[in-house]
Amino acid sequence: MKNRFHKSIFTLLALFALNFVSAQAKKPTIMVVPSEVWCNTNGYMTTYNNQGTPTKIPDFKKAFQENANLLQVVAKINTLMMDRGFPLKDMSSAIKTLESESAENAMMSSKSGAGISESPIDRLKKVAKADIIMELTWTVNTTGPKKSITYTLRGLDAYTDKQVAGATGTGAPSFSAELPVLLEEAVLANIDGFNAQLQAHFDDMFANGREIIVRIKKFDSWPDDLEKEFDGKELGTVIEDWMTANTVKGRYSLSDSTESMQLYEQVRIPLYDATGKATDARGFLKGLQTFLKGAPYNITNKLTMKGLGQAVIVLGEK
Amino acid sequence: MKTKQILTLVLLVLTNAIFAQSGKQKKADKATREWRYEIECAGIGKDGTYLIKVWSYSKKADIAITQAKKNAIHGVIFKGFSGGGQGCTSQRALATNPNIEEEKADFFEPFFEEGGKYMKYVSESSDGNVGADDRVKVGKEYKVGVIVSVQKDALRKDLEAAGVIRGLSSGF
Repeated sequence: MKNRFHKSIFTLLALFALNFVSAQAKKPTIMVVPSEVWCNTNGYMTTYNNQGTPTKIPDFKKAFQENANLLQVVAKINTLMMDRGFPLKDMSSAIKTLESESAENAMMSSKSGAGISESPIDRLKKVAKADIIMELTWTVNTTGPKKSITYTLRGLDAYTDKQVAGATGTGAPSFSAELPVLLEEAVLANIDGFNAQLQAHFDDMFANGREIIVRIKKFDSWPDDLEKEFDGKELGTVIEDWMTANTVKGRYSLSDSTESMQLYEQVRIPLYDATGKATDARGFLKGLQTFLKGAPYNITNKLTMKGLGQAVIVLGEK
Repeated sequence: MKTKQILTLVLLVLTNAIFAQSGKQKKADKATREWRYEIECAGIGKDGTYLIKVWSYSKKADIAITQAKKNAIHGVIFKGFSGGGQGCTSQRALATNPNIEEEKADFFEPFFEEGGKYMKYVSESSDGNVGADDRVKVGKEYKVGVIVSVQKDALRKDLEAAGVIRGLSSGF
């Protein structure tokens, strides 16, 4: 009997250890995107009427369809990143997938004739996205017969808006080299410096936790607000205390706080939850969601997410 | 009798020459460990390579030339190099941990020994020819500049596989 008990304990421990060892942090997606400056310089912009104000936005689809140099540079970066064991999301493919999915959703119906449900927020979120954007710009410099390339690659965290890596430089001027050759040289010369900074960003993430943004909002139908007191403590302060207790080393910045909203930036969350499972912003905030639902707060709330690094809790309703 | 004496003399001279050479090699290896070499970008290498110029020091010019390969790999792993002309950009060292050479001594000692694995990743781009401007006598020793090509992608992959450095996707 005692032997059996020991065996079960041992199996349980082995399973726990296996789970811990095999746990892998959630891998961010990366995508190369031509910058707005590049799109504007090369005429790949489209204009739409934003409530009376004409607004220019990049036309990425047109850029990928018409500019062979862009395709070459993106393909080269994708290949080099794949060699480093980090395949990238391809923007032109992502745009095509989104279009075909929209067409499929429009055509799909059940046997009873019901269509696919899609809220306005679902439609708004239907864009090609990644956790880290590699924003690409290049310009051709001409001095007499000589040509050179000024090349800039920025790695931007899609949630915190921080630049996590960057590489910029001007290649050697050449009389004879063609543009594709100069572009390839520019990519080769700059990609290692960029990856070294990206590696430093990941190392920091493993050491200090993932950096995310958290927003607390309230539905206007909810009669209470963040100033409501529980045992003499305002709800806003209660949430702040929860953040202090659950973030890595209590690291976060409360950037904005009113009676109806709070914005937490530079929130460092652990990469794994208490069970050893990889987690992200949504997984982290599920804890706060459950905490607020429980006594003495009993607040119904809605949790939405944006990728690995941004989540919103809206208080008052589902 | 005379033949015996000549043979002994020849043997002595040969042994002396071998020991002297080995002593100079040891000195060159010590210089490498003490970062006594300079490394600079010499142009944009082909895909997966760095084209670099390494300046090494030795009393014998041929040792400085052969040591250039070892210094190049040592520099790419631990030192990095700055950019400059020919469209060069600065490159950081492959190893980010400054104490990695001591921490992984059991890996690096055989790696950098004479004929060690480092040879796999480096080749001279000028077939051992050194330009007149790249061979400078400084005091009692030579400072020799050699252009070499380093297979940095293959080197990085093997260091990652050996657990010496972290890969970009490690932990994910």
